[in-house]
Amino acid sequence: MKKLLTVSLALVLVIALLCAGSPAAFAARNTSFIMGIDAEYPPFSFMDDNGDYSGFDVEVCRAVCDKLGWKLEIFPVNWDNKLIQLDAGECDCVWSGMTILDSMKEAGYVISAPYYDNTQVVLVKADSGITTSAELEGKDVAVQLGTSGEALLKGDLADLAATFNQLVTCDSFLKCFTELDGNGVDAVFVDKPVAEAYASENEGFVIIDENLGAEQYGIAFRAADQELCDAVEAAVAELVADGTYAEIAANYPKIVNNLLFLSGSEAADELIASDCVEAAAAVDSAA
Amino acid sequence: MSLTVMILKMSQGLGRTCAIFFLTLLFSLPLGMLVALLRMSKNRLVSLLTRAVISVLRGTPLMLQLLAVTYGPYYLFHWSISRNKLIPVVIAFAINYAAYFAEIYRGGIESIPVGQYEAAEVLGFTRGQTFFRIILPQVIKRILPSITNEIVTLVKDTSMAFTVSYQEMFTIGKEIANSQTSFLPFVVAGVFYFIFNGVVDYGMGALEKRLNYYR
Repeated sequence: MKKLLTVSLALVLVIALLCAGSPAAFAARNTSFIMGIDAEYPPFSFMDDNGDYSGFDVEVCRAVCDKLGWKLEIFPVNWDNKLIQLDAGECDCVWSGMTILDSMKEAGYVISAPYYDNTQVVLVKADSGITTSAELEGKDVAVQLGTSGEALLKGDLADLAATFNQLVTCDSFLKCFTELDGNGVDAVFVDKPVAEAYASENEGFVIIDENLGAEQYGIAFRAADQELCDAVEAAVAELVADGTYAEIAANYPKIVNNLLFLSGSEAADELIASDCVEAAAAVDSAA
Repeated sequence: MSLTVMILKMSQGLGRTCAIFFLTLLFSLPLGMLVALLRMSKNRLVSLLTRAVISVLRGTPLMLQLLAVTYGPYYLFHWSISRNKLIPVVIAFAINYAAYFAEIYRGGIESIPVGQYEAAEVLGFTRGQTFFRIILPQVIKRILPSITNEIVTLVKDTSMAFTVSYQEMFTIGKEIANSQTSFLPFVVAGVFYFIFNGVVDYGMGALEKRLNYYR
């Protein structure tokens, strides 16, 4: 009898765990909107001098939530588990300079329209004498795990990566840069805005003048949350239309040139002209 | 990526996981004994100092100790960061585990009744002979289950080498999980650790049985 009880209890546990695995869709009216960020990814999302989360993505998301009447909560995810945490409902979106990968769409995630055009670059020490990616042969190169740079070096740029002495995967950009600074590696493979921000704040680093792969940033939502994605896109479109988006972007001069929605650009026109705006009106009136 | 490729890729990292595991044991088991003897020293200062060191090592996360050993020398003295990450990883692991082993050894040594030392003295054994021929063999038998506990934990702790970018098995698993947007590598990693610990468990069980010669 006791054994039977134990077995049935175990079964119930397993079933409960399995059920918990299927994420429910977002319900805006009775919960807050939880934004999943990488808290170590300036200028898109980071902890500011006051200890609050800030950054371009965070500000845009805050404006979106204001517009839609949602309560914004920010949840720093573990970047290399971000999609698992999204599925688990720890956050409602991953919005933090996230590169859109084909594998995400194949896995069923709802991905917003791209809003940022990102390019991968190589950051080296100014006195290293390295000026082209070909000169990285036999060198140690660091990259952050789970970033587009890593995906690129394992995919399209695998031939380049094969010439490295070793590819060191760190779990944050800070560690990549620390390794470079302390001669642990010879170069860091990193997103262009992050490299530019670092090189401008720290002396003795240069970016190799070579674009190594263009990637685009988007927002990821759970498979069941197409409506949520539409609502957010629509609100962003409104922010673009009323100039708030450009205002926020003006605070981040280093990334402004790569933003796809800034008024005047084709992507912005397309976004505003799309059906999204109607969807936003619908959400607005409902709220 | 097929499951076979995944397992193949991850088993390449298994070699590095094993390197951390065996090197840590190699250094921490004897080091632990040294620390235990210092801890039990008759000299109050030595004993207190060792005690403080042990409490720091046990009271702070291994992850922080890994970071401190790897990046600390660079931040403090601007020494170059080691390119071969196995060196700082093994140093951090060995020191940390030595602290735990030391306390297990101490517990074992102090569990032997004083009467045995007195008897040995009467029989004309020197202090060294008493310790190595009479005390130590009994201590090893008594502490073996606790040591197994630590060794099993060590197998799983090797995954922490990831914090300092050492490409062991779990790091490779994470990389695959990312690029493939798949949870499967974590399952594979779990199975790998479980099998590894199964072997450890069997080995330690066999050792315990062999040492069980008086019962």
